[in-house]
Amino acid sequence: MQGEPSAQKSDTPSLSVVLEDRKTARANPPKANAEKLNFWYGTNQALKNINLVIPEHQVTALIGPSGCGKSTFLRCFNRMHDLQPDTKYDGAITLRPDNVNLVGPETDPIEVRMRIGMVFQKPNPFPKTVFDNVAYGLRLRGVTNRTALAERVEKALRGAAIWDEVKDRLNDSALALSGGQMQRLCIARALATEPEILLFDEPTSALDPIATAKIEELITELRQRVTVLIVTHNMQQAARVSDFTAFMYLGELVEVDTTSKIFTNPSKKATEDYITGRYG
Amino acid sequence: MHVADPLEGHTSKTVDQALHELRTHAVEMGGLVIDQVGSAVRALLERDGRLAGVVLSREPQVNDYESRIDRESLTFIALHQPVASDLRTARAISRAALELERVGDESKKIARFAAKVGAVAPHDPVSAVARSLRHMATLSTAMLRGAVRALDEANPALARDVLDRDRDLDEEFAAALRQVMSFVMEDQQFLRATVDTVFALKGLERIGDHAKNISEQVLYMVEGERPRKTPKGG
Repeated sequence: MQGEPSAQKSDTPSLSVVLEDRKTARANPPKANAEKLNFWYGTNQALKNINLVIPEHQVTALIGPSGCGKSTFLRCFNRMHDLQPDTKYDGAITLRPDNVNLVGPETDPIEVRMRIGMVFQKPNPFPKTVFDNVAYGLRLRGVTNRTALAERVEKALRGAAIWDEVKDRLNDSALALSGGQMQRLCIARALATEPEILLFDEPTSALDPIATAKIEELITELRQRVTVLIVTHNMQQAARVSDFTAFMYLGELVEVDTTSKIFTNPSKKATEDYITGRYG
Repeated sequence: MHVADPLEGHTSKTVDQALHELRTHAVEMGGLVIDQVGSAVRALLERDGRLAGVVLSREPQVNDYESRIDRESLTFIALHQPVASDLRTARAISRAALELERVGDESKKIARFAAKVGAVAPHDPVSAVARSLRHMATLSTAMLRGAVRALDEANPALARDVLDRDRDLDEEFAAALRQVMSFVMEDQQFLRATVDTVFALKGLERIGDHAKNISEQVLYMVEGERPRKTPKGG
């Protein structure tokens, strides 16, 4: 299968349906399509002709050795590379339903980032209160009504499974939270603006196993509201949280399939070698 | 030409080693179990109570192997979180050990019968089906040997060959049952021994099924696809 998970399914699913989908490996309709995507850092081509469908309300994991291009690919979705000089995109990432090309020169990167949220490897809360961290993106979008702000902040914090832990500390500094709490706060901050896709770049590599488990559980729940694309070096994590897994190597997409297929019987030898620890 | 061992090549050599140990123990267990089957049937045919005793005394070793392989495969999974072919290998070996342990149980039952059957009578049921017992033992141990070798070499062709041979064993079993029926209709003097003889024949037929199950595990281990369940005798 090149770049396209199998059969299609329509309705927004309940969690039980989603979990059942993971077993039966049905793909929702696409939320985004990478088509013949190439990317260069100067003269170094980091992505080579990537074609990949990202199914809506499902979790797609990107795995591969360091330098294979998975983070580069992830960052194309919210135009992070625009912040670096001498980079170049070619091809398209089409976002449904309006078919805007996320990497097209005509597309405003600020608009893209309004629709695509991102959570990084290390929690990076602003040096502000818990409340102000989550309200930040909303205020940027002109939400000033205090009641509306409070409602949406609470909703985002609940959505990130951290409300019960911070509801009495909303005016404390976010920097006083634990690492795991900070990361969930960053997820709440990303959720507050109701993105269509949430990008996770190694979201738990700086966290302990308990905090990691909470984030993984959260990702499993988040798929009901948002489409998730996650880069991880932890293959067990990819196996636990994702519906589909894509293996990348040397800037190319080698294989994409249901996560259960990839981790029990991948089609390509390169994938098999990587996931069984025979790589390099 | 050097053929790479499918268990090797991991960056972490402890994974290579753990898989090797698992496979080695399964092959050792296979060797022991094949000998148990052959010895039990020989003890029965030759009315050799001492040899039957040897089989019975070695039964705990078979069980120990199964426990050990089960423990080792669980530890391997817990410590290394294998995926894909490594996971399939650990699972196949663990399940093969379970099948071999059941073969050990069948041998034990035949040996128990051999230990009590007594001297050869002119017309006893074991003598009546001696040729079939011998032939079924040959067929079932050949299937077992093929299955264990297929596991050792990760060889799907050998595994398929075992699946194909099950039909012969089933046919021999059916023929032996007909002989027993004829025997019992002519002479009801040895009813208890007749029942035990049928159990011995059935045990050998079941051993073929266990060899077949091991071969199916080998196919899944190597090819990653579950073989279609072959119908009985097919």
